[in-house]
Amino acid sequence: MQTLFRILIIGIMLGGIYGLVAMGLNLIFGVVRVVNFAQGELVMLGMYGAYLLHSKWGWNVYLTSVLVVPALFVLGLVIQRLVIQPLREQPAMQLLATFGLLILFQNLVLAVTRGETYTVREPAASRTFDVFGAQIDVGRIVIFIATTLVALCLWWVLQSTSFGRSVRAVTENRPAARLMGINVERTFLVVFGLGAALAGLAGVLLAPVYSLTPNVGQNFIFAAFAVVVVGGLGSVTGAYIGGFIIGLVQSLSGYYLDPRLGTAFYFLVFLVVLIIRPAGLFGRLGSEKLGA
Amino acid sequence: MTAIDDTEKSPAAPIGRALRGGTASAGSRVVWSVYAGGIALLALLLLAVTGNDYWLNILILAFLFGGLASSWNIIGGFGGQLSLGHAVYFAIGAYTVGILFQDHGWSPWLAALVGVPIACIVAALTSWPTFRLRGPFFAMATLALNQVALVLALYFSELTGGPSGITLSFIPSFGDVAFIERWKYGVLVLVYLAVTIGVATWISRNRLGYGLRAVREDDEAAAAVGFNVFRVKMTGMLVSAGLTSIGGGIYAVYIRYLDPDSVFSLADVGVRFVLIALLGGIGTVTGPVIGALIFVPGVTLLQANLSGQAPGINVAAVGLLMVVIPVLLRRGVVGTVSQLLRKGGKRWSK
Repeated sequence: MQTLFRILIIGIMLGGIYGLVAMGLNLIFGVVRVVNFAQGELVMLGMYGAYLLHSKWGWNVYLTSVLVVPALFVLGLVIQRLVIQPLREQPAMQLLATFGLLILFQNLVLAVTRGETYTVREPAASRTFDVFGAQIDVGRIVIFIATTLVALCLWWVLQSTSFGRSVRAVTENRPAARLMGINVERTFLVVFGLGAALAGLAGVLLAPVYSLTPNVGQNFIFAAFAVVVVGGLGSVTGAYIGGFIIGLVQSLSGYYLDPRLGTAFYFLVFLVVLIIRPAGLFGRLGSEKLGA
Repeated sequence: MTAIDDTEKSPAAPIGRALRGGTASAGSRVVWSVYAGGIALLALLLLAVTGNDYWLNILILAFLFGGLASSWNIIGGFGGQLSLGHAVYFAIGAYTVGILFQDHGWSPWLAALVGVPIACIVAALTSWPTFRLRGPFFAMATLALNQVALVLALYFSELTGGPSGITLSFIPSFGDVAFIERWKYGVLVLVYLAVTIGVATWISRNRLGYGLRAVREDDEAAAAVGFNVFRVKMTGMLVSAGLTSIGGGIYAVYIRYLDPDSVFSLADVGVRFVLIALLGGIGTVTGPVIGALIFVPGVTLLQANLSGQAPGINVAAVGLLMVVIPVLLRRGVVGTVSQLLRKGGKRWSK
């Protein structure tokens, strides 16, 4: 029983991380309908940004978000405007271009850091305590709380603001939204910026938890894609709960079967959901056909 | 279709048509003569570099990836099904050859033929559910397949050698497809390239090709005019997967070392097929070949010139090109050139 609890707690903590990364990805994939391969690299850039401010100027690592998040927002705007928007009728080219961004960011950071691995030492974040026999560090609990807060904020924005209404309209029916006078291009621009900003926030929060390497983004990106598909496109609830589903699948199958097969299992869940219910568990039925 | 009629009189029209490859308006004899001429040209290219091992190696890889991208292009380009999981069929071909040759003493010639039905069965089983998905969702699902296959290849290490991989022993003989003279591999990949382009040309001009293109443009309309959408896609996928697995087998006998991380690498295998086809011109017969002849030497030269500067800077340059090229050349080299020719032709006929 103790063991099961421990595995569940680990899975939930992992799910918090996946959910956080998936929030930004869900906005971009769910609304703009771009398979943004570079999302994990945006998280990675956020981590290095936090590291830079933390180590060079001694900022508290969580405080660096006031600079990192806006910087990533601007980067997101630039990517959407210069790369995604000119290719809007060509999904294949978009896919390729975001894969190019992945390779570009990863290797630029590799070239700058010359392959050195960094770690962010934040004593407050690395203190651990015992939850039902599982050793959990403060950094992960902060992520869990942040994921919950981000989900609530996003849900509120999407439900109650006029920007949120235009995002939902664009998600459900692009031509109709355009006819209703919504500026689809501008909505996409802001959504991509927001998605990148959320990646930046995820990067800041992950910096004290993970070692920094140029390809650290690969740890989250495939799981985050699985979360988006399992949870449902454009659904905040879906990304939040989907994160925990994928986290739990990985930790349970990792413990009871084989840790090396953990990835295969959550991809199987991903494939099964994609085939049985392409809109995802919490997505609106039929939303997967749009913009495809 | 009026655009084609306009250019009928212009002198540049046949070139543009030939580049786009086998449209209905080009006669069968013209298309196959252009095909034969093209292969002869590639053979001359091979002959020109036989003395130089450095360039010969580049050309062999360019031909191999040209053939692989042509195979991908059948379902990905004609059919518009953006598969990111073709590395799975590539790996099946490579591992079938590697395992049967190294562990069971089979000749790679025979093993490569065994790989084809295995790749086709896997393609049928995985495409059967995923063909319900469209656009980015199909791409995502095939990407997931690639990652599952990678995990499985690492896990079943008794069969695949796990992370340490399989090394194919090298005792020169025709039966083992182990040659000291590198040009013999050149001939092998040239034949492979000729076969894949031949199949692509043939498909693009028959009912399957029209069906695939109809499905790509609008699958509901294709169904309405009497195409069985699922069957068209599945046939295209099986041909594509089978040809890809042969390419994987050739990779195994040429490189003579296989490990999951390089065979399932997205950047070096799965996405590279897509990249080459897109660079040359997706959905055209000549595009993948032209794309490979530009891409493979380009990447190698970047590597030679930049890798001394800082680690990863040459790969970063490839990444930058992958972002810039789609934005600048939205229809690939072939699309852009034939569009220019068409415009030039119009001006001419006025």
